[in-house]
Amino acid sequence: MYLDKFAWLTDTALAEWVASSAVVWPMLECIHFVSLCFFMGGLFVIDLRLIGFYRNVHSAMIKQVLYIVLAAFSVNFFTGILFFAGNTYKYIDNPAFELKLLLIITAGLNALFYKLRLSHLLDTTQVTGLSVFVGYFSLLLWAGVIVCGRMITFFAR
Amino acid sequence: MNFLATLESTAFSEWVLTSMLGFPTLIALHSVGMAIAAGLSIFVSLYLNGLLSRLAQEHLPRLLRLAMLGFFLNLVTGLALFVSRGADYITNVTFLIKMSLVLISAISLGWLRHHLMELLTSSVNLYEDSLSRRVSLISIATWVGAIIAGRLIAYVGTLY
Repeated sequence: MYLDKFAWLTDTALAEWVASSAVVWPMLECIHFVSLCFFMGGLFVIDLRLIGFYRNVHSAMIKQVLYIVLAAFSVNFFTGILFFAGNTYKYIDNPAFELKLLLIITAGLNALFYKLRLSHLLDTTQVTGLSVFVGYFSLLLWAGVIVCGRMITFFAR
Repeated sequence: MNFLATLESTAFSEWVLTSMLGFPTLIALHSVGMAIAAGLSIFVSLYLNGLLSRLAQEHLPRLLRLAMLGFFLNLVTGLALFVSRGADYITNVTFLIKMSLVLISAISLGWLRHHLMELLTSSVNLYEDSLSRRVSLISIATWVGAIIAGRLIAYVGTLY
């Protein structure tokens, strides 16, 4: 990947702030992890509907959950950028981080496919082979994202 | 303490501490279990407290059952991690705070699922049970506290 193009981030005030005290990084990690739980919880609620764990749900409720999932993702994306800025060389040329980004992009495309082709199912009690696949694939991808995220430390240069 | 020292000297502990498949894999799976257990507990609490449009009530204990599977994954990986450095963990205040909060979370999770199942069989509306609401809020608070304490283990004390 071309993450070394972002090495200039280490010279920014943002990077300086993240690395400025012993408190900022752990605090950001706590926020990242708590937000991750909101994200995964909401993801489960939505994906379980696609899988057919339950079928009789209101699409309005799924929409509410989706907002929470998107909000939690935004928090993690933002804190993730701060991690990257604060310790850029930990992430550059790190296979665990590169795989994590790849999995996030794949999961994003999977979610886009759900939005474009499968979201109409929520107004019914229908479950299709494709929706089951998309639901399980989503859970698997995001579990992979968590695993890779945790592995970053062990693959840092 | 002797028992913990014995555990630390086993081949399994050695594997956890030195193998690339040991500590990193266990800690990664521990995070997946955390996200499932805490995430689903949080959402059941949001439903019970009316912060989301209702999900058919019979699904709430089913979601908590999945949360318990996540917790089981955490328990197994957590024990394996503990065995490798038990004598150090047991003297770490942050770890002890985390464990106390996890204990409350686990009891809340098990109790809540059992209670909701009982209410279902006696045809009581789960959404009108104030005790369930309160316990689910305790569950959210203790999960969040346990996650924060868990992260801080790496920074407070001399474990890492």
